[in-house]
Amino acid sequence: MSDVAISTRGLRKTYRTRRGRKVVAVQGLDLDVPAGGVHGFLGPNGSGKTTSIRMLLGLVRSDAGTMTVFGKTVPAQLPEVVGRVGAIVESPKFFPAFTGRKNLELLAEAIGAPRTRVGEVLDQTSLGERGNDRFRSYSLGMKQRLAIAATLLKDPDLLIFDEPTNGLDPAGIREIRETMRGLGDRGKTVLVSSHILAEVEQVADTVSIIGHGRLLASGTVAEVIGGGAAPTVKVAVANHEAATRILTAAGMTVRADGNYLLVEGAPEPADVTRRLAHQELYVSELVPVRADLESVFLELTEGEGL
Amino acid sequence: MIRLTKVELRRLTARRLTIVGLAGLFVITVMLLTATWFNARPLSTVEQQRAQQQFELAHKDWVDNAAVNRQQCEADWKTQPDPKPTLEDMCAYPEPKLEDFGKPKTVFAEIMPDLLQGSSYFLAFAAFLIGASFIGAEFSSGAIGNWLTFEPRRLRVYGSKLLAAATGFVPIAAVTLAIVLLGTFLIVDRLGDTAGVTGHTWGDLSAIGGRAVVTTALAAVLGCVVGLLLRHTAAAIGVVMAYLVLAEGVFAAFLEKAQPWLVRVNFDAFVRHDAQYYVTECKSGNDGSYGCESVVKTLTFEHGAWYLATLAVVMVLIGGWVFHRRDVN
Repeated sequence: MSDVAISTRGLRKTYRTRRGRKVVAVQGLDLDVPAGGVHGFLGPNGSGKTTSIRMLLGLVRSDAGTMTVFGKTVPAQLPEVVGRVGAIVESPKFFPAFTGRKNLELLAEAIGAPRTRVGEVLDQTSLGERGNDRFRSYSLGMKQRLAIAATLLKDPDLLIFDEPTNGLDPAGIREIRETMRGLGDRGKTVLVSSHILAEVEQVADTVSIIGHGRLLASGTVAEVIGGGAAPTVKVAVANHEAATRILTAAGMTVRADGNYLLVEGAPEPADVTRRLAHQELYVSELVPVRADLESVFLELTEGEGL
Repeated sequence: MIRLTKVELRRLTARRLTIVGLAGLFVITVMLLTATWFNARPLSTVEQQRAQQQFELAHKDWVDNAAVNRQQCEADWKTQPDPKPTLEDMCAYPEPKLEDFGKPKTVFAEIMPDLLQGSSYFLAFAAFLIGASFIGAEFSSGAIGNWLTFEPRRLRVYGSKLLAAATGFVPIAAVTLAIVLLGTFLIVDRLGDTAGVTGHTWGDLSAIGGRAVVTTALAAVLGCVVGLLLRHTAAAIGVVMAYLVLAEGVFAAFLEKAQPWLVRVNFDAFVRHDAQYYVTECKSGNDGSYGCESVVKTLTFEHGAWYLATLAVVMVLIGGWVFHRRDVN
């Protein structure tokens, strides 16, 4: 298996609206998704996530650029790797009048998977008892689970989930999250696109952030967060005025936040307590405020005018 | 490709519209045979007696007056201005026969080609409708996108769908036409006239039936292509209805000479092995008069076959090209 599951270079897609206006959905996207683990693909609505995924799956033709999946050029060599790729693009789409089982049986037959596999994946996604109900009678969560079941028919090495938790209730969101994490832990590559950052932060090992169809940041979650915002410490101390003077003199930036002070620029949180204790100001509470993906994301996308 | 075609066939036969369509075909077939039975029924005893009485009255009138009437007619003929009709045309008084009164017997060899042709229309319509829905539903539900993530080779996907629709309708059309053919034979054998039916008759009828099977498969394929191009069943049916009304109805009525380039006459020419259509021809006479007359024209089987084959190939190629290029959302 190559180290990179997905790679795109200079990927570009332009749509023409019904009025003839050109809309650039993806412009020169360079994306690398490492093999194994969960990769978050982040961006605001309309940033080109779904279009990029559709291009990778051969559903949409790119105007320019190159794409590879497991080292194979797509879409030309997509048939060679499609057996290793499972995907759910936006909302799950099946034949509404057929049962969940029937939908899966047709897909299984198309790829030459044994029919027994259908029962297995239905059980794996807790749909065994509802497998004989029509797809149109399913709740959104069940539809999503059926879509996951469909992707599991192939036992793929790469799973692509596009906004998988849209419209799901908290239990459904948790279920999907656990499924993705579980797949990642089993060595599968999971590419999950989302604009809900907290969700991705909880499950992803690596992330890519895009805006206006271009890559804005990429790396491990820690790298992306670390590179985006300075460490901050939240401090509770009796004398705000004196503490502010001492810490500012030490080169830190201090601002009031209710009963607390927010201190930026401290090399370590211990520096704050040490400097204040020297001046007989004792800290009653000290909490490192960790920059989260959301703040990084907003910082990056604000710069793009998004 | 074969595996994909099998899957598509399974999907086609599992669809509710296909099952409803087949039930509709069965009902229409039963209605057709029932209508044939009604038409072939002999007259009741009372009606037969009435016909006998009418014949006897007419025959007596002929015996009593035919000679006198002919003499009078010949005298009148001599005074007719030129150009006058022939004497036999104007003054024929044939002897009435009993079979001229009452209901003529239904003759199998005479009615069967029309029945097969009529059946080919509703078979083609059903095949087109189901074919258009077969693909249109896939696009309108978005399931085609999911399908392509399992089999991205679009031309294979396209080919398997067309092949499934065509092959799926071959047995349906064959069985329906066989039921119409044999059912009609049994009805007419009991109530009408099958005396002149020979091996040659069966051969001709089988050929018409065979060609109707071909047009049904073709209609299913065209339904698929139109459904794919328009991505919606209702739109596909709307386009066909608009064609039938505007092109086959309005356009053909105003521009009769264009009929050989419209679908219906070519369809008939292929199924019936030559078809006739009418055009109005107007001309000025030497005496300065101007008159129009309806002239019968014949469209050959070969013309119909080439026309339908070309139409099918062009549509399949357009559909394939569009499906290969189109972004799927």
